[in-house]
This record gives sequence, structure tokens and C-alpha cells, in this order.
Amino acid sequence: MSEVVDGTASAADAVAAKKEPKILVCDGNEAAAWGVVLARPDMVAVYPITPQSSLAEYVAQFVADGVLDAELVEAEGEHSVLSVLHGAALVGARTYTASCGQGLAFMFEPYFRTPNLRLPIVMSIVNRDGITPQCVWGGQQDAMTVREVGWIQLFCETVQEVLDTVVMAYRIAEDRSVMLPVNVNHDGNYLSNGVVRIELPDQAEVDDFLGTPDVNWHVALDPERPMGVDPLTGGATGPGPALFVGYRRGHCEGMQNALRAIVEIHEEWARRFGRRYAPLVEEYRLDDADCALVTIGSMAGAAKDAVDAAREAGVPVGLIRIKTLRPFPLDAMVAALDKARAVGVVDRAVSYGWNSGPVHQETLAALHYCQRRIPCLSLIGGLAGADLTQAHFARAIAETVKLLDAPCPRTPVWLNAED
Amino acid sequence: MSATPTIAFDAARCDGCGECMKACQVAKSDDGRPAQSRIRIVRDDETGSWGIAQCRQCGDPRCASVCPAAALAKGGDGVVAWDAGRCVNCLICTAGCTYGGIAFSAAEGHVVKCDQCAGAPQCVAACRRGALRYVTAAKLYNRWGELEDLFVPGLGGCQGCNTELIMRHALRRIGPNTVLATPPGCIPGMGSVGYNGMLGCKVPVFHPLLTNTASMLTGIRRQFKRKGRDVTALALAGDGGAGDVGFQSLSGAAERGEQILFVCVDNEGYMNTGAQRSGSTTYGAWTATTPIGEAARGKTQEAKNLPLLMMWHGCEYVATASTAFMEDFYAKLEAALDASGRGFAYLHLYSPCTSGWRFPSAANVEVARKAVETNFAVLWEYRRSHGLRLSRDIDEPAPVVDYLKLLGKFGHLDAAQVAHIQAHVDRQAQVLRELARAGCGADAVG
Repeated sequence: MSEVVDGTASAADAVAAKKEPKILVCDGNEAAAWGVVLARPDMVAVYPITPQSSLAEYVAQFVADGVLDAELVEAEGEHSVLSVLHGAALVGARTYTASCGQGLAFMFEPYFRTPNLRLPIVMSIVNRDGITPQCVWGGQQDAMTVREVGWIQLFCETVQEVLDTVVMAYRIAEDRSVMLPVNVNHDGNYLSNGVVRIELPDQAEVDDFLGTPDVNWHVALDPERPMGVDPLTGGATGPGPALFVGYRRGHCEGMQNALRAIVEIHEEWARRFGRRYAPLVEEYRLDDADCALVTIGSMAGAAKDAVDAAREAGVPVGLIRIKTLRPFPLDAMVAALDKARAVGVVDRAVSYGWNSGPVHQETLAALHYCQRRIPCLSLIGGLAGADLTQAHFARAIAETVKLLDAPCPRTPVWLNAED
Repeated sequence: MSATPTIAFDAARCDGCGECMKACQVAKSDDGRPAQSRIRIVRDDETGSWGIAQCRQCGDPRCASVCPAAALAKGGDGVVAWDAGRCVNCLICTAGCTYGGIAFSAAEGHVVKCDQCAGAPQCVAACRRGALRYVTAAKLYNRWGELEDLFVPGLGGCQGCNTELIMRHALRRIGPNTVLATPPGCIPGMGSVGYNGMLGCKVPVFHPLLTNTASMLTGIRRQFKRKGRDVTALALAGDGGAGDVGFQSLSGAAERGEQILFVCVDNEGYMNTGAQRSGSTTYGAWTATTPIGEAARGKTQEAKNLPLLMMWHGCEYVATASTAFMEDFYAKLEAALDASGRGFAYLHLYSPCTSGWRFPSAANVEVARKAVETNFAVLWEYRRSHGLRLSRDIDEPAPVVDYLKLLGKFGHLDAAQVAHIQAHVDRQAQVLRELARAGCGADAVG
């Protein structure tokens, strides 16, 4: 059953009932920018890239209008964007940026370092497919390619969830048991440009929810607290490999701590603001399902419609939506997968050497911990902005149902191959 | 220890007139009794030039250390003083001094030496041609010397490298209210950030990436300003981290006018990783990746002129400096530090690399001096408000071969390559001359 309460305040939510929420009609990029306004970062660094550009423009306009009191750095490229934020965070700034696709690729060097410095930077990725072939459209190849870098990776389904998750991301990132950067992913085109009605949380309530920035208590560049940041570590002349191992292990532990923090912070968000999202893995009509689709990001909307239609036609199918990909929510995923007898995983990216999709690979790893052997099919669609419609998911369901009676193919189903 | 005044001699200005000796005799004559001059001018028969024999007021005087009677001692005023009451006239001091600075005076019956006439040396006053001057050459050192050294002792630089000098002196002046970025290269390589929890200096310090020094400092400086704190954002970077892979972030920060003091220590290559070619490596130079062989004679391209590129960004301040001209370096550091409170300040230091350039470790300052004296490295400064100004006369340079022959990395050059370099050096000097003449400044660039 879905944990989503469909955007309306629950009756138990006393706080949200206090004030009429402000209503906005906007796309996901503007929603993310409003999330930034509410989080009150000290510094925002941006470099434009399709389909993120309007997000950068909204933030710049908010700063120009005085809606957001932040230092805005119009850096000369994504590499510098994140580097500026490294410096600012080491001086204690709450920070924000957004990028995608090639921008993320260009940013990779400082991106790789961000979680190792344990800097609680929040960055939206307006997911975009990778070139080549030349392409400016949505897809998740960018975020999927950087799964092992050590950032927390959250994936949103709706525009409202984009705004809410950007705000929550700061609480997660700055949790002292976590201290890791967070990527809030929202799909390029579908979410970045799709206009809907959303609620804007009250600033004072968000201030109370987030608290003051808590960014550089553990590592700082400050003459009042002089320290060397990132001296050469490891090698034969030092205290031994244990120090380096300690850093890596601490990072892994921070990631595991994030699982708890993400759940608690989503729970608190629901209590305060009345919107409840599955923090790790959403289960949709799964309890008596034979088959399940695994989805991530905005595709879940059309997929849920397809599930509803299949249910009406008597096919017992459900859906799993991954909100948190990193840290990988192993327990929640295993619990969900254990409810199905066959699984089809729909990816908007490719895992080349495995001849399947990245989320398919993640799911296969989780299936190892399930009680029984569950066949798991890879389906790939939505590349380079291709539509993933209810019809595509109907086919995905049909292909998954086949696994109940026939061997599971080791090659992916390309959902848009005939489009 | 502080530097103290000394009597400096310029042989080129001396014509051997002897007025200094006469003045000294008069000054030291007591009640008309004859005295021996404490300064003697001596002609070099081979070159025809004049030299002097006079006490150098050595820091660790041999005359004093060999004296068995403790009659000679270095005083707080810098003068090596002779005590008549203790002297036993053994004359061992005269053998101890290699400069002829102390000698037996038959007229006076004991050894005599220069005492600088209590701060008003008469020889200097008598010298009409200005061959003798009474100076404190290192008065800036005195000022800097009193400032705290903010690096740890025992940085692991190569023998004879001038980078440690640059680092220590720069940070002394800039002071502890600083965040220091040292991108990968010789500077962190010698331990300025530290190893495994052992720190290299007393100010907050970090390794940026090789590529993002100016960007990280942007965030640091801006966040401090947001908090109302005036903290200097300082980079000590090599030429690769500044001008090659780091150039994008440097250029971006300069264009935005970020308030950063960026010091580039240019050793013309990737010297920390074994002397590979960089964009700052000059034409003809051997490096590990521009080797010499049957088909190759060193680098085939000119170096990019990084300081000029920075000038065209319209920075608040850009200058080139050399450790052979420390007063000029200090003045420029002062100006750069001041300018970094208003905008981007870029200071480019020529840093001869003893190991990568293949020359004896004792010759670093000599190499640096020759680079300047041949116009191979021209010293200039640019202020947004005043334009470009040459720091010293460049119209009568020594031939560039005087510089090239000092360096093993140029040992293979043939006549055509030397001529190529000379032509490039001349052209570059001409460009700078014309920029200086044009008053290339805020109107032209900013």
C-alpha cells in the first residue's frame, strides 16, 4: 500500500493546520528554487545547463529581488561551482547548486571529493541523459553513473516532492551523524518543465524545522580555528593504512546513519507540514501482488496508472518506487521485494557491461537477501526524454508477468525501441 | 638577528682618487698624530678596476674568533669593536681576516680597523663619485624578520630552492589572519599542509585540487565577508596549478574580481613530479617530456606569458618578481596584499628549480638575477589605476646566453636555438616597453 497521502494534510497534523499554505503554480525547477529560498543558504553557485537553466535563473532572480539573502557566485563552469561551495562550506556556509548531464561530468573532480570532505552541500540534479549522441533531454544516466561517489541520492516523483525534498535534504546532510552531501534528483523535462499546483511551506515553520546551519564543526578553514584540511594521508611513513581506512569506514557509517536520518526527517516533515513521502522505498499496491515493477523518479506516476489499470483487469501487480538510492535501502527493498514472485525493473539509464539498467543491478543485489529466488527482468526506457507512457508500463507489466511461467531473459527489454 | 648598516662599495664608480683614505686618516688622527687609514683602495692589475680592503663587520667575525685575548667582539650596533685594553698585539686577527679588514698600524703601534665612525663614516662622506655608500641593504629583512614565521621548521624543499624563501617571507608579511591554499605541487609537497595529522604551518591551510584553487578561495573569502570578517584568501600555487589545468578557475575568479591574493611560484614546469613540460616551460628547454634525442631538441613552443594574460583580465594588481631582487618583491607583495582587499591580485614569482633545471644548488639567486639582467624574466607591475610600469631599466640587457649557459636544461642548445630565444626575449621586452609607454591601464584593460 502506498504511504503517500496524495499531497493533502493529514487530520493528525496540527501544525500544518495553523496556517493556510501559500499556493504556487509552477514547474519543478521553480519548485526547487523555492525550496532553496526556504532553506536560506548562505551561498549559491550556479552555471547554466539545459534542463537546469531556469532553476539557476529563478535562484538568481530571487537573490536579485531580495527574496533570498545569499551570496550568488556566477562561476565560469560547473567544476568551479562546486569548488566555490567547498570553500564556502569549509567556512561554515549552507550552500546550494544544481546541475546535470555534462555539467555533472565536468564537475566530477570536486564532486568526487565533496563527500570525502564530509561537506553537507545540497545539489539538485535535473536529470539529463549523457552525450553522445548529442542530446539535451531527460534521462538518469548522469546520476546513475555517479552512484559510487558517496553522495546521498534522493529521487523525486512529483514537483511538490522536489520542493519538500530540497528542504529536507539540508536536515539530512547536516545531521551530525551523517555529514554528507545530498543530491536531490528530479527528472529533466517531466519534472523540470511540468507545471502543477503546489503548496509553499511557511518560512518560519521551515526555519524551525531546519535550525541554523551546522556545516563546519568537524572541518573548517578559519584563522580562529586553524587546522590543516586534507593533509597527505596514508603511505608508508604515516601512522599506517588505518587512518585512511578510518576515513573510508567513517564515510560508510555516515551513509548507514543516513538511512535512519532520512526516515526520521521524512516523518517529521509529514508531522509538521502534512505531506508524507516514503523516505526510502515506496510500496504501491504490493501486498497481494504476484508481480512488481521497480521504478525510480517521475516515471512512477505513469507506472502507477498502469498498475491501477492492470489491477482493474485482474492482474495482481504492484509497484516499488525507490526514493533513496544511496545509501541503498537494503532492508526496505528486501521487504518490498519479498512480497513479489517476479520483478521487472524499469531504468532510464544503461549499465553497459551488464547489458541491463543500473537500478536492475541494484535490485539484483538486494534480491540476494530475499527469502526465495525471484526472477528479475531489466526494462530500459525513457532515454533522452523518450516518453514512458501508461502503455509502455502496461507492456512492462506484461513482460514481467511472463516471468511467472517462463525463464527470465538475460537481455533487457527496450521499451522505446519501436517508438 | 637584525641586519645592521654597512659600507657598500661599487667598483664601477671608483676611480682610485684616494679621498676616502685621506678622510679616514684625518678622522682617526688623534691630536694631529699620524694615523693609518682603516680603508685601503687596491688596484687589480689584471682588470684595472679598484677594490677595497676594509672591515666587513662580519656576522661571525673570524678576527674575533681567533683572538686569544677577547679584544674583538661583534656589538649590537653591528660593528666589530676592538678593545685596546685587552689587545696583546699578537696580530693573529690580521691573519684570521680574509678581507684585509684589520691591519697593524706602525704609526699607532697596534692593530686598527674600521669602526664606521659611530654611524657617520667619513670615507663615505668624502667619496665624490658615490662608490662608497653607507646602507642597510636588508632593512626590509629587519622588518620582516621581526614578524612571526608561520611555517614549521624543516620544510622538505630541495636543496637550494628559493620557494621556501618565498613562502616564509610571504606568509610572515601576510600574517595569521589568512586562509592558505596550496594546490598540489612543490609547495604542499615540501609539507606546507602536512602529513598524516602533522601540520605544516600555523594558519588554516588546505590542498585544493590542482584545478580549483581560485574557486575554493572565492567561496572562502565571500563567506568570511558575509560574516563581516576580513580574512586574506591566499594561494601559493605553481605554474601548472595557476596557468595550465588551474587556469579556468584562475581566469574566472580574476574576471569576477574576487578578493584573492594569488601568488604563482613559476618554476616553468611540473617540477614536483619529476620535471615535465608545462605551458610555462620556455622554448628549447629540456624537460622529462620534452627530452633531447636524434629528433628532438627540447620544447618547440614558447611559454605562455601568464602574468600578461592576467593583466588583460583587468585585475586589481598584477606583478612579476624575483628573489634576486627582494626589496622589489617585498614592495610588490605589499601592494598585492593591499590590492587583494579590493579585487584580484596576482603576483608572479620566477623560481629557478635547482633539480629540474640542472644547476648547482648554491646558484639559485644568481640564476634568478641573470634571468632578470638578460630580460629573460622582466620585472614589471600593473595597477588598475596606473597601468603597467617596468620595475627596472631593461634597455641594456646582458646577452641571454649569459643566463642560458648557467642551466643544464639548456645545455644542448645550438646557435640557432639561442638566436631564437634571444629574438623572443627582445620581442617580449619590446612589447612590455610599449605597454609601459602606452600607460596601459584602467582605460585600456579594466
